[in-house]
Amino acid sequence: MGFKSVHDSSYWFYRSIFPGCLFSCYAVDLYLHKNPLNTLRTSTGIGLCVFIWFIALLISSFSVNSALVANIFSPINAFNISEFIKWFGISASITFSLRTLSHRARYGAVVEILFVASAFVINLAAHRNGMIHRPFFIGDFALTRGIDPSSILMAFGCAAVLSLSALLMMENNQKRLPYHFTVLGLLCFSLLIYVRLFGLPTPQLTDGIGLTGQAQNGNSGQRDNPFRDGENENNDKEAPVAVVVFRDDYEPLNGSYYFRESAYSQFDGAMLNYTTRDDMDRDLIKHFTNSRAETDLLPGAGDERKLVRTTIGMLVPHRNPFGLESPIAYENKANPSNLRFKRTYDAYSLAPEYDFEYLIGQETGRDEWTDELLQEYLSIPDDNRYQALAEQLIGNLRPEYIDDPFAKAWAIKSYLDENGIYSLKNQHAYEPDPAASFLFGDLTGYCMHFSFAATYLFRSIGIPTRVGIGYSVPAANRAGGSALLVQAIHGHAWPEVYFKDIGWVIIDPAPQQTLVDMTTDPQNDLQQLLGDMLRDDASFEDFLESQQTSFIQLETLLNILYAIVALALLVAYLIKAYRLWIPSFARNESQYRLCYRAMLDRLSAVGLYRNFGESREKFAERVNTTIPSLKPMTNTHLSLALGGNVPNIAQQQKWNELDRAVRKEVSASTVTWRKVIAFFNPFSWLLTK
Amino acid sequence: MNSDNVAEVEELPTAMSDEPNGALQEALEVLSTLQATIKKQVLGRDDVIELAIIALIADGHILLEDFPGSGKTTLAKALGEAIDNGFSNDESIVPFRRIQFTPDLLPSDVTGVPVFDSNSNAFHFRHGPLFAHVVLADEINRTSPKVQSAMLEAMGEKQVTVDNVTYALDDLFFVIATQNPLDLVGTYPLPTPQLDRFLFKITMNHIDRESELDVLDTYKERRELTGQLQTVTRDQVLRARKNIDAEIAISPAIKTALVDISRNLREDDRVLQGNSTRSMVLLLPALQVSAALRGRDYVSAEDIELLLLRVLGHRIELAPGVSNIEKVLLDNMRTPMDQLAKGTIT
Repeated sequence: MGFKSVHDSSYWFYRSIFPGCLFSCYAVDLYLHKNPLNTLRTSTGIGLCVFIWFIALLISSFSVNSALVANIFSPINAFNISEFIKWFGISASITFSLRTLSHRARYGAVVEILFVASAFVINLAAHRNGMIHRPFFIGDFALTRGIDPSSILMAFGCAAVLSLSALLMMENNQKRLPYHFTVLGLLCFSLLIYVRLFGLPTPQLTDGIGLTGQAQNGNSGQRDNPFRDGENENNDKEAPVAVVVFRDDYEPLNGSYYFRESAYSQFDGAMLNYTTRDDMDRDLIKHFTNSRAETDLLPGAGDERKLVRTTIGMLVPHRNPFGLESPIAYENKANPSNLRFKRTYDAYSLAPEYDFEYLIGQETGRDEWTDELLQEYLSIPDDNRYQALAEQLIGNLRPEYIDDPFAKAWAIKSYLDENGIYSLKNQHAYEPDPAASFLFGDLTGYCMHFSFAATYLFRSIGIPTRVGIGYSVPAANRAGGSALLVQAIHGHAWPEVYFKDIGWVIIDPAPQQTLVDMTTDPQNDLQQLLGDMLRDDASFEDFLESQQTSFIQLETLLNILYAIVALALLVAYLIKAYRLWIPSFARNESQYRLCYRAMLDRLSAVGLYRNFGESREKFAERVNTTIPSLKPMTNTHLSLALGGNVPNIAQQQKWNELDRAVRKEVSASTVTWRKVIAFFNPFSWLLTK
Repeated sequence: MNSDNVAEVEELPTAMSDEPNGALQEALEVLSTLQATIKKQVLGRDDVIELAIIALIADGHILLEDFPGSGKTTLAKALGEAIDNGFSNDESIVPFRRIQFTPDLLPSDVTGVPVFDSNSNAFHFRHGPLFAHVVLADEINRTSPKVQSAMLEAMGEKQVTVDNVTYALDDLFFVIATQNPLDLVGTYPLPTPQLDRFLFKITMNHIDRESELDVLDTYKERRELTGQLQTVTRDQVLRARKNIDAEIAISPAIKTALVDISRNLREDDRVLQGNSTRSMVLLLPALQVSAALRGRDYVSAEDIELLLLRVLGHRIELAPGVSNIEKVLLDNMRTPMDQLAKGTIT
């Protein structure tokens, strides 16, 4: 019986949990029916188990805490003893109750098997949400041998389903074992087919900002209020979303990689939204392409930027492609693993290499912008407090910076950095203007609040700003490799300002106080694994192949399998056709046999066939209601087969009449779909006995 | 499918058989006469009547396990009376005798005894009740083994030996023995080898409600029927026996199935002692009669299914703790019977 240790190591599993389970199993199976255990009531037995559990916990805590035990043995031995007693007691008591239940109660076997199954599933559940390298004991085993871990898990699942149901059926002494197994096998097989056709299920994750387009309340046409996302449970924050492989050397100056997917730039009367104008946000690419898509507009300051090629593999579908800031072109790329990646493409970005000092003294806006277009980037809610606050904040600037847009923006950002509190829980979601509620209220919110508030403040003093959305991944996550894993938690929104001749520049408020632990496990193993899968030069398939030297090629095996199946089908059809046609050519004396067999084939195809051990007469009697002519036909056949009579011409005629009658009856008593199946089923003749 | 068509095909089995064969036809008539005559007197026991006729024609004997008053005597008497002895020149043979077995019965009570005739000054053999066509041996397990063995010699060899003189019984000698399955105090149960002499052991159940009512309703009429019913002669029965044996085909496949079943049974762990080869030999004529009764001129799986339990039920000794002979038999029949059916199309 499996038992999942909540401890990190499997050390105690082998040393105490496993013996504990074994001990209880033996005790129950051997002694439950003997004195004195057979006098024990089930409820008493289970109560006793709970008691043993507590006793074990007590003893174990005593042996750790008491100085006496630590003195007699060494402290480490005392700890070992305590752990042993604890896990032995727990496993033995659970096993004992489960085994007792399965012996005594009807539902006991089910409970026991459910317990085993759940222990099993919990172990494998680590694989969920794209953590394909987990659980490690499977991931490592599979990857070093060149097998996709998901196939191992699938095999595990199928085997588990089959064996658990076998256990269940054996406990209940079910008789139709082979039949059930066939059905279960078919279910497992259909699961495999499903995965092969439609891929693995997409990781479910909280879509913070609407990046993935996985609408949560169904109406995908309309954007959800982005401020309500904080209400979501955030337990999937480590789920991998995409993996980025850097083809060129690049290190961001401000400590984070920004991947822009889209932007909220147009004020729609309530808040910022995707633009509906063609002449706004021309630097964004709002669709996936099958070939290459380029932005209409390149960012300026080319000599302060570096062209970086990245390869991006999306693990979950997204609304738009995203790329390292600032993406200028996307190019579709062959998917190295259809099972794993929803979409893979190369992104070309002009990544900034300037520092913030470079921005001092730069002007904002773009020369080609009309006044009306500029106004779109400056419009804010009708609330004077934004401008008032902004002017108050830039009031303290030194005189030389008093007219510098970047300095002004930086002053505002600094205010938010120092006073804002990062929290996923906030009270602003249902306000008409959540940004105002945040900014003039408790200053507690998450990226959406900070970016909207900053954008409104910037705009109020004439700086053209929009909210960029995408992912922001700490540079440290890359850990020196060329792959970078984007996780759900990295979904981000930030304010960005348009500087003349430079383009959109991210000025991201970073609150110093935070109520949320935003640190996540960067999943370096997974990052590297997915990176390897995505990389061209050593694609996952190549990687698998490189590991597969000692095995027969999986592909070859599959092809052989397909060929065998095709051949079997062909042969089956040929036999079927042969058996149906041969009576027309048979010699007189063997015709009764072949003709009758052909008739039985027809009946088998529509599901009427003789059971094992049943005599021909009984079978004919059984189907007499639907196929009454089979009875005389059977009698005739038997008189020729067993009576040694030789058919003559008159009998031949009778025989043909019967043949026609049976065919007519079969046809009349069969529904159309059954007839179609009967026609196409290549193995129907196997049922003829 | 219209009804005309059905009627047409229903006639086929006989139509497909050989050209009306005189010998077989006569045998079939004998069978149907016997069946009809007995059925008029014994109600609700069609299956037992059929088995009794099969045993009679197949030259076997039957053992009935039944309660008193369930119609055994009526059946045996009806069978005896259905055989007319009119043309027989042997006055010592009568159609029907009944022997009530008791612990104090002596062998000479059933076989007959030499009596000193003072006129001729010689011993003269007085025929016992065994000298009949149909003998009802009531409660055969109540008598001593000595009488039982005399009885069984008569059944097996068709002869009785008294004072070292052997007297032949008639060719048509048919024993219906009965034993009460419940009241076993003071009985001498027949050992398995002796049971082997009986072709069938038939366990009878009470007849159904309608038949029982019928029995009460027609009680008087049936008593008056005696003498008015159609009968067959002893010679006709013997001729039918010969003709059926000659005309009803037994395919090698049938024999294979029988042998396979026997072998399976002997290998079955639940069986202590399997059936003898003799039982299979005895079974063959019974199968032929059964086929004839169903209007077939060949033995089929149906006949085996009908007769095998009756024939083997008392010949097989089951291992301790196993009681369901029927299940054991069915389990062991399944594969050979399947092979038999399969064999007809391959």
